[in-house]
Amino acid sequence: QGAQVAFGDMQQSTDAPVEVSADELRVNQSDGTAVYTGNVVIGQGDMRLSAPRVTVVYVEGQGRIERLEARGGVTLVSGEEAAEAEEADYDINGGSIVMRGDVLLTQGGNALMAESMTVDLNAGTAQMSGRVRTVIDQGSNADGAN
Amino acid sequence: MARAGGRYSQVVAWLKILLPLSALALMSTMFLVARQTGSEAEIPFAEQLREAGRADEQVGSPYFAGTTERGDALTFEATRARPVSGGRIAADELSARIGLTDGGTVDFRAPNAIFTDGSAMATLSGGVEIDSSTGYRVRTERLNAAIDRIDLESDGEVRADGPAGTLTAGKMRVLPSGPGDEVQMIFTEGVEMVYEPQNSGVSDE
Repeated sequence: QGAQVAFGDMQQSTDAPVEVSADELRVNQSDGTAVYTGNVVIGQGDMRLSAPRVTVVYVEGQGRIERLEARGGVTLVSGEEAAEAEEADYDINGGSIVMRGDVLLTQGGNALMAESMTVDLNAGTAQMSGRVRTVIDQGSNADGAN
Repeated sequence: MARAGGRYSQVVAWLKILLPLSALALMSTMFLVARQTGSEAEIPFAEQLREAGRADEQVGSPYFAGTTERGDALTFEATRARPVSGGRIAADELSARIGLTDGGTVDFRAPNAIFTDGSAMATLSGGVEIDSSTGYRVRTERLNAAIDRIDLESDGEVRADGPAGTLTAGKMRVLPSGPGDEVQMIFTEGVEMVYEPQNSGVSDE
C-alpha cells in the first residue's frame, strides 16, 4: 500500500542544468565509467541530493547521462521536505529520484517511513511504498498506519 | 727417444708456454672492451640531437617512442627540439600520445616542453590540451608528464568537458590506479561539474 505526498515546489524544471560538486571525480580510461567520491552534492533548481559516492551511468552509445546512482547513505532536500535513505537513483531526463532502504521523509513535524520512495520532480509529488508508517509526533512511538 | 737438442725443439718448448698465455690474454681483453651500453632512460630527442651534431644545434620534427612496463605505448613528437642550459632539451609544439593496452588513448600537446636529463619527467607549458578517448577534453596551463610510464599531473587548475558535462577542478592526474590497475583520469581539489540535460533538445548556448 503506498502513500502519495507533495514533495518540493511545483515549478521544479527538469531542464535546468544539473550541478555536481565533489572532492574527486574518477574517470576510468578503459570503459569511461565516471565516479564522484567525497561530499558529493547533486543540485538542480532547489533540489539537493547528497551522498558519499555517486556513479554516472550513460545512455548506451551517446554521451548523455541516463542516471546518477548515489550510494552510501543519501539525503534529499527540496523546499522544506527532506528525505534520507540508503541509496538513490536520479533519472535526470525522466526528472525522477528513486530512494531505497529505510526511507525517512520529514515534512515539518510530520515524518513518514517506508522501504522505497519515488519522487517525481516535475509534478512535485512523492510515492512511498513498502511498510509505510507515519510518525505524527517525533516524540511518540511510531504507530503502524496501514 | 731422447729429446733432440738444437734450436727447433727449443722454439717449440717456448711456444708451448707463450701460445696458451697469449690466448688467455686475448680472451680476457674480449670482456673488457665490450661496449658499455647506457642504462638509465634515454630522454627523448637526445639521440637525434647527438646525431645532428654540433652543426645547427637543433633537430627538426624529432620523434621518440617508448613502451611502459605495462605495455602501453608512449610517443612524443615536436616541430623542433634543441638543447638548452643544464643538459635539458626544449621542444616546440610537442604532441604526445599514450596508447593503452586495451585500445584507449590519451593525447596531450603543448606549445613548449622541457625534458630534463636524468629525470623521466617532461614539463609542458603555454596552455596544455589533453584529449582522452573516453570523450574528455581537458585544458590546463602546465602539465608534468612521465616519459617512461603513465603519469600525467596538471600543475594547477583544469577545465574539462566531456560526457558527464563541463567541469573545473583544482588538479587532474592520469595514472594506473585502483583495482586492476586500470588507468584513471582523476580530478581532485574541488570538482565542480555542470551538466545540461538535453531532454529539451534545445541546448541554450
